[in-house]
Amino acid sequence: MATHIYDKNLTHKDSSDSSRWFGGEGARTARLMMYILLAIVLMVMDQRGHYVPRVRSVMEQAFEPLFLLVSWPAQALRSLDRRTRARGDLIEENQLLIEERLKMVASVQTQSALEHENQRLRTLLQATGGMTYNFQFAELIRVDQDPFSHKIWIDRGADQQVTPGQAVIDGLGIVGQVEEVHRHSATVRLISDPDHALPVQINRTGLRTVAYGTGATSHLLMPNVPLQADISSGDLIVTSGLGDRFPTGFPVGEVERVERNSGDTFATVYLRPFAALDRGREVLLIEPRVIPPTPRTEQP
Amino acid sequence: MKRSGRDRRLFLLTIAVALLLTILPVPAVLSPFKPYWVALAMVYWSLETRDIVSLGAAFLIGLVLDILTGSQMGLHALSLVVMVFLVQRFRSRLRFFPPWQQALSVLGLLVNDRIILIWITMLMSEPAPTWKYWLPPLIGMALWPWIFLLLDRVRARQRRKKP
Repeated sequence: MATHIYDKNLTHKDSSDSSRWFGGEGARTARLMMYILLAIVLMVMDQRGHYVPRVRSVMEQAFEPLFLLVSWPAQALRSLDRRTRARGDLIEENQLLIEERLKMVASVQTQSALEHENQRLRTLLQATGGMTYNFQFAELIRVDQDPFSHKIWIDRGADQQVTPGQAVIDGLGIVGQVEEVHRHSATVRLISDPDHALPVQINRTGLRTVAYGTGATSHLLMPNVPLQADISSGDLIVTSGLGDRFPTGFPVGEVERVERNSGDTFATVYLRPFAALDRGREVLLIEPRVIPPTPRTEQP
Repeated sequence: MKRSGRDRRLFLLTIAVALLLTILPVPAVLSPFKPYWVALAMVYWSLETRDIVSLGAAFLIGLVLDILTGSQMGLHALSLVVMVFLVQRFRSRLRFFPPWQQALSVLGLLVNDRIILIWITMLMSEPAPTWKYWLPPLIGMALWPWIFLLLDRVRARQRRKKP
């Protein structure tokens, strides 16, 4: 009972106090409404791309050191792990790597023969000229916390000649594209982002379509495949190169499931992406470069 | 007056730590469990002090959080302003709740916040999130008593150090 009275007294004091500072409950609600309105205006401006994204980009740059600071413990742990690896492990790993290398060299040799042949055929056809790619290595410094936008931050930026729109891959397949470039970092929108569309084609038949992100890293969606199209689960999907963003012929994923409902115009195709979208640590940035269509003679 | 200055410094420190915890990279398995650190800090300070946390401060901190997490500009600002308003509105009642009841109120606040966020993202025609979306409020509730005790202890010690 006593605490109840105390509570009441305090409530009274509280409200008189707040009326001195905030001008009463009504004024406070008005202030709340004002802030809510301001937040909504900001969100709409951000969504429509008016002015706000530029301010945000500048601010992100200002906060960049913070991210480097925060990612330091994880990196330190990793380097410690590398350093304290036992000798036996290293020898074993070395052995494995040597074997691996031999296999690679063998496959590269056949590859280069193929490349030469391809190059010759292209000159014969007087095609548009072969494209070869330079890769730039980058490491992830951060993954976006927001479940609605799939973005990653990488540790290469304008200083390393990263440009917006560059395609990003990992050892397995397409990862996404560079969106914003800061000085020492850049953001990459993943192909699994619900706003992302990727021009692809089915490797077996050559059918072109578009793969959309679904917000889940486990699958992409191709909603525009004609109902009677020749496509089945297990088909390899590669980039088609249309739209000039992504280079042609990089693996994207494989068809997981095809849903054909006889009432619809299109079949719904689910795609399992190859790239380690939710677990990779390293990615490669592709720099497109046109080389003259003459056979290359350099050694691998 | 002096005491409020000390509290203000401690408040800024708490918010800075909460922001760092938010952007701290964690293994992918743990990331859905990450609580809404900044909200927990804001709830504590608007519950325990009267003149430190204003709606304007909540708005600004929300904007910083938006930039740091790469979310829609204004999203967290809105969420924190609403949360601080609710805490201030029911402050006198919340303060005299026993800890478990207070933790339940915190759960209510955090769930309410998630509902507001989901409503906004639906308006922007983004897909609905999975069930994992509802984990952080539960974690927040579980952490609340500990955060409360920790911050109370720190403040009591500061008060004793400089009378």
